[in-house]
Amino acid sequence: MTRLVVDPLTRVEGHGRVELLLKEGGLHEVKVRLLESPRLFESLVVGRRYDEVPDLVCRICAICSAAHKLTALQALENLMAIRVPPLAATLRELLLLGGHLQSHALHLFCLILPDLCDTPDLLVLLQRKDPLAEAGIKLKAFGNRLQEVVGGRVVHPVNPVFGGVSYFPCRQDIETLLKELLHWQTCWPDLCTQFLQLGNYPEARPVIGNALATGLQESFALNGESLFYGKEQLISSSGYKELLGERAREDSHAKDSNGQSGPFLTGALARARLAADRKLRFDTPAEAFGIHGNNLAQASEIGWTLQRLGQLLEILLEADPAEPLRKTLKQVNGGVGTAATEAPRGLLIHHYVVDEWGKVVAADIVTPTAINQRVMAAQIMADLADEKDHERLCKGAERIVRAYDPCISCAVHLVRVEHSS
Amino acid sequence: MKLKPPITLAWTRFTSCSGCQLMLLNCESSLAELAQVVALREFPLATSTECKDEEIDVGLVEGSITTPSELERLLALRRKVNLLVAVGACALTGGVNSLVRGERRQAMTEVYAGQADEWNTFPPQGIEHFVKVDGQIPGCPPEQGELLNSIGALLHGGWPGHQVMPVCMECRINENPCLLERDCAPCLGPITLAGCNARCPSLGVPCEGCRGVVAEANRDELRRLFITAGLTEQDIRHRLERFGEAP
Repeated sequence: MTRLVVDPLTRVEGHGRVELLLKEGGLHEVKVRLLESPRLFESLVVGRRYDEVPDLVCRICAICSAAHKLTALQALENLMAIRVPPLAATLRELLLLGGHLQSHALHLFCLILPDLCDTPDLLVLLQRKDPLAEAGIKLKAFGNRLQEVVGGRVVHPVNPVFGGVSYFPCRQDIETLLKELLHWQTCWPDLCTQFLQLGNYPEARPVIGNALATGLQESFALNGESLFYGKEQLISSSGYKELLGERAREDSHAKDSNGQSGPFLTGALARARLAADRKLRFDTPAEAFGIHGNNLAQASEIGWTLQRLGQLLEILLEADPAEPLRKTLKQVNGGVGTAATEAPRGLLIHHYVVDEWGKVVAADIVTPTAINQRVMAAQIMADLADEKDHERLCKGAERIVRAYDPCISCAVHLVRVEHSS
Repeated sequence: MKLKPPITLAWTRFTSCSGCQLMLLNCESSLAELAQVVALREFPLATSTECKDEEIDVGLVEGSITTPSELERLLALRRKVNLLVAVGACALTGGVNSLVRGERRQAMTEVYAGQADEWNTFPPQGIEHFVKVDGQIPGCPPEQGELLNSIGALLHGGWPGHQVMPVCMECRINENPCLLERDCAPCLGPITLAGCNARCPSLGVPCEGCRGVVAEANRDELRRLFITAGLTEQDIRHRLERFGEAP
């Protein structure tokens, strides 16, 4: 028995490892292990005031900090039965979409493009003055600027607060963003072509996993009060525990999702399968790409996002900045609150229990990468079943993991290992 | 010591959110220029180049130390880099990771049950607890300008001047209304190290102290102001300890 280990997985967020066990030359078993040190976020918020939670949990992960902060806020606002003013909801959606743009551009141009060009990293491409790499990081910078204008900071945004947002961005900044947006709307299709070439990706088998996403038909997932899976099955977000049946794994620092309808696949590819308005905007059939089709789905979503951002920025330009931005809470109510959001990499769920004095009693956070963890190993097993060459096995496994756009910092905020008696 | 470009640089990440790395990667317009003067030997978020054993000019460290294996990696890094720089709140003081401090053993047992020992972790700590640190870049996340300035200064054989004033002063320079006075908001500007140009208070958001505490901070006065503003002792403690200021 031969054991191949890819450790650390590079060009992914966080510390992960893939172990490949070979028997008689062929792939026998695959383990995807997420090895971040546990940071105990779900226990460190216990005993703290509810309004401190969003500031703390956004530090689970930098790339997804906007999604974490917004989901935590929404779960707590659901808990206290507060609906944020419409203008605040618009600003929050802008922030989330700025995050999607930034994250997708980071994944496609900084992490995937080097694979397509067979270079170790983006910097090599930038030194060569590769036009696609240069345009890609400019698009990523645009997503960042959006987050900075609307959120106050690129990473760990400060504008969203309990009950709404703190400030209305400067009008001049909004106009500048809108002008730049028009540029990106025009040149976006050219940026995507490289990611649509089947020959750029390794041979792949059909995607494993039941697609799972929030109710995308409403708006962009910020109102994700229901979860979709399979063809048309629908449940309320608060029923996520039964659906996902999360349990801890002994060999990985992240919980594993293994409900009866699972294993699940979440992320851009799942959204493309489930939501009518997210159908891929290309003629290329995504099926042949297998899991690498997630890159196509992200490229397609960039187009969708750019369109939606235009609508939102227009709303801001027409809005009266004197409109209320924040609702204040008259009285703290204890209770249970859940919220589901489509983070860039897929379904993100925050769930809190708060006591009558406003102190957090319990917290549960389910991240997209924790949901995808199961299908990752199965997909490696399927895609590389006939591969014998050790180097190609390791490289292939790494590229499959990378295709999911995993976020290991997120997945490993906490692990609960079940008592095995 | 003036270093000859390209300087070799290794970015090492321990327990953290990758935000500090991301802030550097977010300096999009400077990346091409940076690539001319810096040879990246390790930067896990962006490159699959592996760091081979060799002498490295500068090591940038993000994250807190929480496991024996992280400690081993930190010590090995210290031996091969000429200058070691701690980047961000986690590397400086442990950051939000260390908020479980004190109750950690209990939390670990609750969470991991029988496997608690297997994870083999200890309370998160800043890297200065273990190795000599030559430079610090504070913040959660650090400011992009500060990251680039520091790398630029290293290229010229120096290090940016040490910041001595609090965020409060930057607010005055920017003529911001005082959030503590106006809204009774729990703003940590009076005791927090400046350098962010009062980023949050300028937007009307109270400072959460992510850059750490300034030298000669008047903690007693801040505590008095907070109590006047209606905060409880516990609220004050939670607010202060978020970025490593022990109550």
